[in-house]
Amino acid sequence: MSTTTYRLPKSTDRRRRDANGQRVPINWGHPITYFIALLFVSVSIAPVLYIVLGGFRTNSEITVDPAGFPLQWQFGNYADVLKSPTFWQQFGNSAIAGLATTIGVVVLGLMVSFVLARYSFRGRGAIYSLFAAGLMFPITVAITPLYILVKDLGLVNNLAGVILPQIAFALPTTVIILVPFLKAIPDEIEEAASIDGASRLGFFFRMVVPLAVPGVVTVGILAFIGSWNSYILPLFILSDQANYTLPLGVQAFSSQYSVDTARVLAFTSLSMIPALIFFTIFERRIVGGLTGAVKG
Amino acid sequence: MKRKLRGATVLALGLGTVLLATGCSAGGGGSSSDGKVTMTMWQNSTTGPGQAFWKKTVADFEKTHKNITIKVQSIQNEDLDGKLQTALNSGSAPDIFLQRGGGKMKAMVEAGQVLAIDDLITSDTKSAVGKGAFSAEQIDGKTYAMPVDVLPEGIYYSKDLFAQAGIADTPKTIEELNGAVDKLKAAGIAPIAVGAKDAWPAAHWFYNFALRACSEKTLNEAAATLKFDDPCWVKAGEDVAALNKTEPFNPGFLTTSAQQGAGSSAGLIANHKAAMELMGAWDPGVIASLTPDKKPLPDLGWFPFPTVAGGKGDPAAIMGGVDGYSCSAKAPKEACGEFLNYIVTQPVQEEYYKAFNAPPVNTAAQAIVTESYLKSVIAAYQDAPYVSQYLDTNYGQNVGNALNTGVVDLLAGKGSASDILKGVKEAAAKG
Amino acid sequence: MTNSLGEKTLAEQRSPEGLSVAGGGTRRVSPPAGVRPVRRSKRWGQRFEIAVLSGPAIIVFLTFVILPVGLAAYYGFYRWKGYGVPTDFVGFGNYALIFADKAFHEVLAHNAVILVLSLVLQGPLAIVLALLLNQKIRGRSIIRVLIFVPYVISEVIVGTGWSLMLQTNGAVNGLLENLGLGALKTDWLSDPNVAIWSLMLIISWKYIGFAVILFLAGLQSIPEELFEAAAIDGASYWQIQRRITLPLLGPTIRIWAFLSIIGSLQLFDLVYIIWGQYVASTAGTSTMATYMVGQGRNAGNYGYGNAVAVVIFIISLTIALIYQRFVLRRDTAGALTEGHK
Repeated sequence: MSTTTYRLPKSTDRRRRDANGQRVPINWGHPITYFIALLFVSVSIAPVLYIVLGGFRTNSEITVDPAGFPLQWQFGNYADVLKSPTFWQQFGNSAIAGLATTIGVVVLGLMVSFVLARYSFRGRGAIYSLFAAGLMFPITVAITPLYILVKDLGLVNNLAGVILPQIAFALPTTVIILVPFLKAIPDEIEEAASIDGASRLGFFFRMVVPLAVPGVVTVGILAFIGSWNSYILPLFILSDQANYTLPLGVQAFSSQYSVDTARVLAFTSLSMIPALIFFTIFERRIVGGLTGAVKG
Repeated sequence: MKRKLRGATVLALGLGTVLLATGCSAGGGGSSSDGKVTMTMWQNSTTGPGQAFWKKTVADFEKTHKNITIKVQSIQNEDLDGKLQTALNSGSAPDIFLQRGGGKMKAMVEAGQVLAIDDLITSDTKSAVGKGAFSAEQIDGKTYAMPVDVLPEGIYYSKDLFAQAGIADTPKTIEELNGAVDKLKAAGIAPIAVGAKDAWPAAHWFYNFALRACSEKTLNEAAATLKFDDPCWVKAGEDVAALNKTEPFNPGFLTTSAQQGAGSSAGLIANHKAAMELMGAWDPGVIASLTPDKKPLPDLGWFPFPTVAGGKGDPAAIMGGVDGYSCSAKAPKEACGEFLNYIVTQPVQEEYYKAFNAPPVNTAAQAIVTESYLKSVIAAYQDAPYVSQYLDTNYGQNVGNALNTGVVDLLAGKGSASDILKGVKEAAAKG
Repeated sequence: MTNSLGEKTLAEQRSPEGLSVAGGGTRRVSPPAGVRPVRRSKRWGQRFEIAVLSGPAIIVFLTFVILPVGLAAYYGFYRWKGYGVPTDFVGFGNYALIFADKAFHEVLAHNAVILVLSLVLQGPLAIVLALLLNQKIRGRSIIRVLIFVPYVISEVIVGTGWSLMLQTNGAVNGLLENLGLGALKTDWLSDPNVAIWSLMLIISWKYIGFAVILFLAGLQSIPEELFEAAAIDGASYWQIQRRITLPLLGPTIRIWAFLSIIGSLQLFDLVYIIWGQYVASTAGTSTMATYMVGQGRNAGNYGYGNAVAVVIFIISLTIALIYQRFVLRRDTAGALTEGHK
């Protein structure tokens, strides 16, 4: 997007024009751009479509013509999965884990980011570095000792044993995204608030939280999607099938019913849907937030 | 402001507490004050008649024992051992679970995770089940699982495909087996199906070669010391390599699973896409669930693992497992004992045989076995001078896994016979 | 300043050439001279507020992130089955075993290959695609949503779907057959020469959309006048890209590369789902993480598994620190190396 200092007169012609109104030639014509864009999009979407459409076929169709379209749209596979209590149970577990993680991340992250952004005290740099260093501790590395710790806390086979670590591991990204947000609130607002007699905390609740909503939304969405898709942590912590989250359920289902490829595909695609819907609604926030974090 | 702060903190703390509280119920069984007992059970039949059998058996048991409820979970066979180990180690184990025996059971016993059931076994059960089957589930004279079937291992084959390739008699020696492989290849039939993706089916070839090459004493010593220095082990590996050189396995065997789907090794046999498979006596049941009409394969036959010259093992020895069910240390003793005794009574065992197509452990139930191949299996089992447990079960999860992976690497051309033993040694050092 | 989507963000202050990661780069607006808060918070009151507000996060973080890594170092000195208390102290014995293990050398090699190929395969292609998509074409926002979809789907689903598609009688071979390219059919998953490329294909498919979106954002923050001025001066398209776009895109590229490297080192879900713990090493796709899970948890060797975790951590940390110091130094007030402004 251009800055506001100098704007070219906008013309309806898509070709760019310089200051004299002369056409500036573009080397890549639009048709090629569209073609490549289309190619890229198809490659991105085709496997997803395969999974979704596969659920509408029968197993013999899949065996005979693996890459074909459904001859007759079979709704039975999807219906079976939607009717099965296992699917909804796992869906519920994923939802609980996701919501709890998100709430925890947002609340804890906002509180600590506020401290880091607006207070100045001796340990501030150290605490910030502590969280930033957390980026080096991916959950994959920590999972083995983490499992033992969770076991010692008695939280194995328990959604809390999944939620608490997820909150912890989401904090570094959260802090890194929120601190700049909160820092950028001009001091004058804070001073005006304190002149009006509000304490720092009042300022926090009345002014900061509303202003931080965009960053908070981004962080919350990232936390939710991260929790929804997480696999290795539930794999280690949850052993009872009743407590499974959807990724575990997909893997268990696909090995249990590996004969029934169509049904596996139906189950898999239904597991995708919530994340996709969530993403479509909040796409701007996610993309904007990620790029904003990168840009600082 | 302070109030708001307190409110927020309390809210956060409360949320955390609620989370912990709602989650904190342990996974094991328990008895409430009114005498009702609930137990969880893990078994490894995820499809077909096996799963139905357990549902029915549990339902029948609950009818006659109104205060006991059992929740059955079907765990995919390949996932069972790992999940069970994790569950046992973390204190959230099921009350009743499938027991493989051997070193795996030994590890559980050492960790105090299974119940000794000697005082729970009724005298009726003792007389119905042979002593031999019980010995497979005993350590130091104490019994830790109730056997439900005997699963001797041998080669299951398709009589029709053998006839098609012009093979008149079943192979008795390894040379005859190689000859059969050649004839099958000439007839365009995949000679041997092996589910190397799951590692253990490939490793079973090694176990049986080791059974032929090593004396009974060496096998037992290795289980005790986890040392594999005797040269017979290398010979067993070289026998596997020699067999592999004749290219007897189905195409793509490295990604063929053992039991999952029509593309598995059992599925290949079921659909006449391969002629032979080395498997334990659970195989007919698995094959039956993968045939087009979901009925047992009509032309299925069985012969024992061929003899190999120059080995120290008895040529009639047989490798075999016993499926049993154990009670976890935290399970309700009486209820668990009652269920275990129930599942080896004659009517239930007859249903078991019909569902799994495997030899039941109850000697009276064995009498109703009709299939010729099962009869041969039972006969070979009874004639064997000694029966060895599967080596990966015997040697425990850690060494067993390394052994299995080593054999797969050998078949994939990535390692030699001595590499298998090197890997096993390294695994023993890691745990 | 607006972000790539035309919305005003609060992270406003940004120097033209600087892209900063972490929070170090924003400037505070200083208070007008002479005006100070009338009421100073008492020191202890402030400390209390700091403690209460940051306490929960710090406690949770220390407990579940920092403490496990410390525990891993401790358990790594023992041979231990995972229950009870570790008693069999072996010092650095586990580490000696790790570094002598041929299988570990293989996973190191695999991770290195994955790391390099991810950068090489995705980077240039993503830049080209971002340049292409940066034009004002219709449907740009829909395109952006669609190419980001693979990133949003979990690795489990990606792995399940692709493993079904790549089977010998799966959709990919079927499609090749249908297109008359049957000669190209191969054993995508188990042939050791092909499997690693299949893995790279799946990884690239999943993450290239993310790279493109990042680069698009970077591109859109380059002021248009620079392009126009260069065009007026007669620069060709490629000269413009080489002299203006790529250098200004540099910080974004470096950050993307950092994220890609860290991700490559930690790769687990995809490999584990598609190849399982046994076949991964035979197929040539095992990673440090699958090695850790296979040798640690699945085999019941928790002491050894923890030692492997420590090794992975040290490797990741070293690479990250080196990268931060030498590559990102220009761009950032680095969180670890230079401290917080």
